[in-house]
Amino acid sequence: MLPHLDAAHRFARWLSPSPDDADDVVQEAILRAYRGFDALRGTDVKGWLLAIVRNCHSTARTRQRRRNFVPLPEEHDAQDGHAMIATTPDPESVSIRLDHERTLERLLSALPDEHREVLILREIEDMNYRDIAMITNVPIGTVMSRLARARAALKARWVAAEGAALRDVR
Amino acid sequence: MTCAESLRAQAYFDGELDAMSAVAFERHVENCAGCRTLLEDLEHSRSVIRRDLPRGHAPPELRARVMRALDQEAAVRTPQSRGLGQSRGREQSRGWGQSSWRSRTFWAGAFGGIASTAVAAALAFFLLSPPFSNAMLDDVVAAHVRSLMPSHLTDVVSTDQHTVKPWFSGHTDVSPVVADFAQQGYRLVGGRADYLDHQRSAVVVYQHGPHVINVFSWAAGKRSFPENTTRNGYRMAFWRAGDVQYCAVSDTGWNELLELVRLLQNVSGRDSGIS
Repeated sequence: MLPHLDAAHRFARWLSPSPDDADDVVQEAILRAYRGFDALRGTDVKGWLLAIVRNCHSTARTRQRRRNFVPLPEEHDAQDGHAMIATTPDPESVSIRLDHERTLERLLSALPDEHREVLILREIEDMNYRDIAMITNVPIGTVMSRLARARAALKARWVAAEGAALRDVR
Repeated sequence: MTCAESLRAQAYFDGELDAMSAVAFERHVENCAGCRTLLEDLEHSRSVIRRDLPRGHAPPELRARVMRALDQEAAVRTPQSRGLGQSRGREQSRGWGQSSWRSRTFWAGAFGGIASTAVAAALAFFLLSPPFSNAMLDDVVAAHVRSLMPSHLTDVVSTDQHTVKPWFSGHTDVSPVVADFAQQGYRLVGGRADYLDHQRSAVVVYQHGPHVINVFSWAAGKRSFPENTTRNGYRMAFWRAGDVQYCAVSDTGWNELLELVRLLQNVSGRDSGIS
């Protein structure tokens, strides 16, 4: 499981608004995976671990909601969405590249959860449809349509952001 | 996006179409500007995401924390194995206690006695010979984890023991037992050379269901070998056969790991009986 710790952590960070919550989720998921490892029948350890991460995240969130916290990421959170991904300031890379990163992170954070997670799983973690369906617990057909909608939504927001940026430059 | 084939275009882009459908789609794309644009869009956003989205590593503190938690978890679950060379783990003794004609307390007492003898023997062993260092355990686990990275698992890929075994003679300092136990669920995948304990150790790689099991082997020194243990969530089983020290490492359950150990020990026993 440890080779997949980075992936588990990345995925948890995209699911959880706070880094501390994400860390808790990762630890809980790895322990659960470890306890249940003998029960793993498939061959894809990474997908299986990510599914557990997602379950742990939902459990944690339900627990939080019950306590009436309700700190769900809303549009205004997304404004400083990059704060949730701790980017260590590196003087040399304060550049367009960083701008792109921030824009992209902001746009992704603003997507609905179900869109964001399929995009991350497909584009960053390189999971196939079957694995994504397993992880997100929906039929493959739903994965396909969600992915299409998520990609279209991201593109639309990207185009809008680029347009805004160009107007600012002028 | 207006083309009815847009979902198919996406599936093609994601490599999810079988060969026949892919060919059919490629034919469609030649005449469909909408699908061509869609493919370009998909390619563009993928390259932007993969280029610009930071792929952070898990912070070292989290890694350390998770490893600590795993070790704590393991401390509760590691069976005492040294005494009889076989597992007398919680799971097994529980099963036997229920099925046997003797009471559970009888076995608890019997094993308790054996276990304490084993502990005493192990203690004496450790006092008489230099102990196996913790650093060495870490090295073995690190080698195991490294082997799980893409294309690090095997130097020689073969399910044939007669290919793997001779390969070792040129590349490592020991000649370990190599056998395929596909029938029993342990498929021989190949072999690898690793540098451990200042020698070129031989690693035989098995696949058991989704789990990789690395069987490390190196020339046994005078050093005692450690108890079966768990490190960072990986189980490590140790045994010695002739001049060769073995360590099987995996994230399988103890029963599965020790079953492979038993199979390998049987082969060692048979070989030494013949020669």
